[in-house]
Amino acid sequence: MIMPRGSDQLLLPVNPLFLWFSLVVALLFNMLPLGRIAAMPDLLAVVLVFWNVHQPRRVGIGAAFFFGLLMDVHQGAVLGQHAQAYTLLSFLAITMHRRLLWFSLAEQALQILPVFIVAHAVSLVVRLLSSGSFPGWTMLLAPLLEALLWPALSWLLLAPQRRAPDRDENRPL
Amino acid sequence: MPLGTLDRRPPPLFHQGPSALTRLMVFSAVALFLMAADTRFAVTRPLRSALSILLLPLERALEMPVQALHSSGEYVGGLRQAQADLAKSQALLTAQSAKAARVDTLIAENNRLRTLLDLRPALVVKSQAAEVLYEASDPFSRKIFIDRGLSQGVVPGSPVIDEAGVLGQVTRVYPLSSEVTLLIDKEAAIPVLNTRTHQRSAAFGADGTAMELRFMAGNADVKVGDVLQTSGVDGIYPPGLDVARVAKVDPRADSSFARIALAPTASADGVRHVLVLEPMAMQLPPRPAPEPEPAKGQKANKGAKK
Repeated sequence: MIMPRGSDQLLLPVNPLFLWFSLVVALLFNMLPLGRIAAMPDLLAVVLVFWNVHQPRRVGIGAAFFFGLLMDVHQGAVLGQHAQAYTLLSFLAITMHRRLLWFSLAEQALQILPVFIVAHAVSLVVRLLSSGSFPGWTMLLAPLLEALLWPALSWLLLAPQRRAPDRDENRPL
Repeated sequence: MPLGTLDRRPPPLFHQGPSALTRLMVFSAVALFLMAADTRFAVTRPLRSALSILLLPLERALEMPVQALHSSGEYVGGLRQAQADLAKSQALLTAQSAKAARVDTLIAENNRLRTLLDLRPALVVKSQAAEVLYEASDPFSRKIFIDRGLSQGVVPGSPVIDEAGVLGQVTRVYPLSSEVTLLIDKEAAIPVLNTRTHQRSAAFGADGTAMELRFMAGNADVKVGDVLQTSGVDGIYPPGLDVARVAKVDPRADSSFARIALAPTASADGVRHVLVLEPMAMQLPPRPAPEPEPAKGQKANKGAKK
């Protein structure tokens, strides 16, 4: 039995249904018609990276690519822009997944920040090459907000695996 | 502790599939191919259409909570706003009614004059109303999606207008929805006519917030406040629709062209209902078949056709 690294608690196995459900919810959140905000954090990217880090054998680069395509079609962007960014994101997440989990949540957020910056930079380069207009400097906030979301999302998405294995009436969860 | 509480399966030692780097390379190559295919050729259209149909019900459903939030806000502070809107629209109606009363007589007169001069009757533009589904959250471009598509007879290139003027042009048509690129998008261009000087020129989108009039000489007769309308020479936009108003003229000394900033008449934000027009080219009479000519004149003819 392998003890989860950096954690004082044995985690339950992940429920694949919950895993894909969380990805779809993140996609839906990204699709909310909130208007055009350059600093909007890409929740789908954060959830993808989260599952890439925690379950690299279930959610891999292929899934990231497919979700990227969906985002491209939804936004009317160049087909392949998000797919390329998410592919790279997923690759970087998978290469660092063994190291990342040794750190505390805050340190993880710090380490994951460059990954998000790279993904946004790829998007920016692709769009500027294919004649998009520069959206303004507030877009620098997006990767920062995504990194800030990391601890909160980690706590939320790992919560089902932290439940007690046996139902216990004295325990709330 | 029951069985199955912990993940006891050993990690696979040999059956691991291609390495992450290989996958990165493969998927990056596919993504690059898709980008090139999407911008240069039309081969990705079926893929886009299929995925758009998959996403459409979700987009429709997601409209609801945002819509509900808006309408609840309006419900709370709505009465005063409604009264102000009513007063404004009544003032507008009064201002327009005089004009509208004259239109019928003018149309009749125009038709009489046209028959007198033996001109073809003016074109009647077919249109259909559409609702805006959502504005693309893509920060690099300005696009909206409307709920009319291929099945309702929308064709690529159709002009899209709202009550104030030209809003944009349909750039991609999906089976049940279409993508409209707004005039303020960096990619957009529209031929315009200055209503004061009757000078034709071309307006282009600039950085997603405004438009600009390009290729106008530094000493061109353009003043702040000039109204630009569609000129109708492109075979797409019907003539006489408001496009923009000149906001700033900057005759630059370092270049032979002036920098002219335009403020579009149609507001890109907060538009809910639009009208999709049929491109003018679909109503124009078919081009006459080229007559077989001697080889000498063929070159000149080719140049003229373009």
